[in-house]
Amino acid sequence: MADITYLDNAATTFPKPPEVLHAMCEFYKNYGVNPGRTGCDLAIHAEQMIHGTRKKFSAFFNPGLAAGKGKDPNRLVFAANATMALNLVVNGTVGPGDHVVTTKVEHNSVIRPVNHKVREGAEAAFVAPDAEGYVDPAEIRKAIKKNTKLVIVNHGSNVTGVVQDLAAIGAVCREAGVPLAVDSAQTAGVIPIDMAAWNVSFLAFTGHKGLFGPTGTGGVCVADDAEIRGTVYGGTGVRSADPHHLEEFPYRLEAGTLNLAGIAGLCAGLDWIQHRGVENIHAHEIGLLGKLQEGLAAIPGLKIHGTTKLERRVATLSVTLANYDPQDVGTILDVEYGIQTRTGLQCAPLIHEHHGTAPRGTIRFSVGPFNTAEHVAAAVRAVTEIAADRPA
Amino acid sequence: MRVGELEVNFDPDGFMADPAAWNDAVARAIAAEEGIAELSDDHWRIVNFIRAYWKEHDLAPPVRLLCQELGMSVRQIYKLFASGPARGACRVAGLPKPDGCV
Repeated sequence: MADITYLDNAATTFPKPPEVLHAMCEFYKNYGVNPGRTGCDLAIHAEQMIHGTRKKFSAFFNPGLAAGKGKDPNRLVFAANATMALNLVVNGTVGPGDHVVTTKVEHNSVIRPVNHKVREGAEAAFVAPDAEGYVDPAEIRKAIKKNTKLVIVNHGSNVTGVVQDLAAIGAVCREAGVPLAVDSAQTAGVIPIDMAAWNVSFLAFTGHKGLFGPTGTGGVCVADDAEIRGTVYGGTGVRSADPHHLEEFPYRLEAGTLNLAGIAGLCAGLDWIQHRGVENIHAHEIGLLGKLQEGLAAIPGLKIHGTTKLERRVATLSVTLANYDPQDVGTILDVEYGIQTRTGLQCAPLIHEHHGTAPRGTIRFSVGPFNTAEHVAAAVRAVTEIAADRPA
Repeated sequence: MRVGELEVNFDPDGFMADPAAWNDAVARAIAAEEGIAELSDDHWRIVNFIRAYWKEHDLAPPVRLLCQELGMSVRQIYKLFASGPARGACRVAGLPKPDGCV
């Protein structure tokens, strides 16, 4: 592979740890059969790995639950990615005449499913954040109405890196008696999450970012007391004579054969981050983000959008450069300097409108655990040179 | 846009609605819109490479490949097409809007 400086970890973390790739290959080579579909030992082994992964993730997302008050692992449901998981949540909780509260920080993985519900007769409120991108929980409370059936919020912004105060938003939802769904695409595996303590009813996650699994993995962790309808139907491998889809979890939200190799990799990814420590990885990333932010801020014509705080933040930074289209800066960084970033609206148009960066968006840098101080210095040097060569 | 007898239509982003309707005269007309008074040999090398690659792959070429194959730096391409390889050069080459997260 060519020498690259990969600073697009918010899109997907890269590279993946060798342990993840090894686990996927080995598991699929030795046990690559359809889990639960036959009584053969290979299938039982595959099912054990799947169920073991459900247990691990249920515990990971609910660290505060006391021993003996464990989480039902069957309510950890796998999906192809966070978007599919969020579709399960929105479609399974909201109907015509219902009201949804969400925010302008959201990714299209929330905006579009919610807007489709509005097209079918639901109502939605998109709460604006403050100038830095943080949502005031009191504004969520104000937006909740009698017919509000769901509050759905982005935990960490894929544009500016702001991390919302889920404990406070969860308290508001608890008081109002409305279930809280969270899009943790940028935070699962990056920021410690405690569903039970924060009153999160549905936690949608993707596998290929902070959890270091492969693409095509993710899911939703459903709180034991949360209500949700199934909206996908088909094969489950059990009770085949039943003419309708099964109501019990995980089948209620899963249909068809699971991504066995992907889930084996996801399981190995969780082992990898737990071995290193979520807090340690995050501290490394935020340390580098601070250096990157400081270096870029000194470049004439460069503007940082959103917060510059390093607390309540994931290691993502959005900037624009005067007289440059963000896409052009991204192209020059990639082709001339071997630095990969993400440009444009990053599938989150409302937050760009909020920060005044629509329609062309920003240049987004996002740091991962394999980045180094040299990578950050290279990025600052490159942007400095590009800025100095600014078109009229 | 009318080019001779031909009515050329564009999508909302300014890319040709029907790439099959492209010809050299259309390229010159789009180039004029891009602020390029006359397409030089270097412009045509870029346009023809992009067009040929798109016909074979149904995609715009990676910018790095474009630079390698034509022996140009990305900054040279920006000097020729101020709005860049993915927008200006692809527009002049008559491609549909390339994929990208905008």
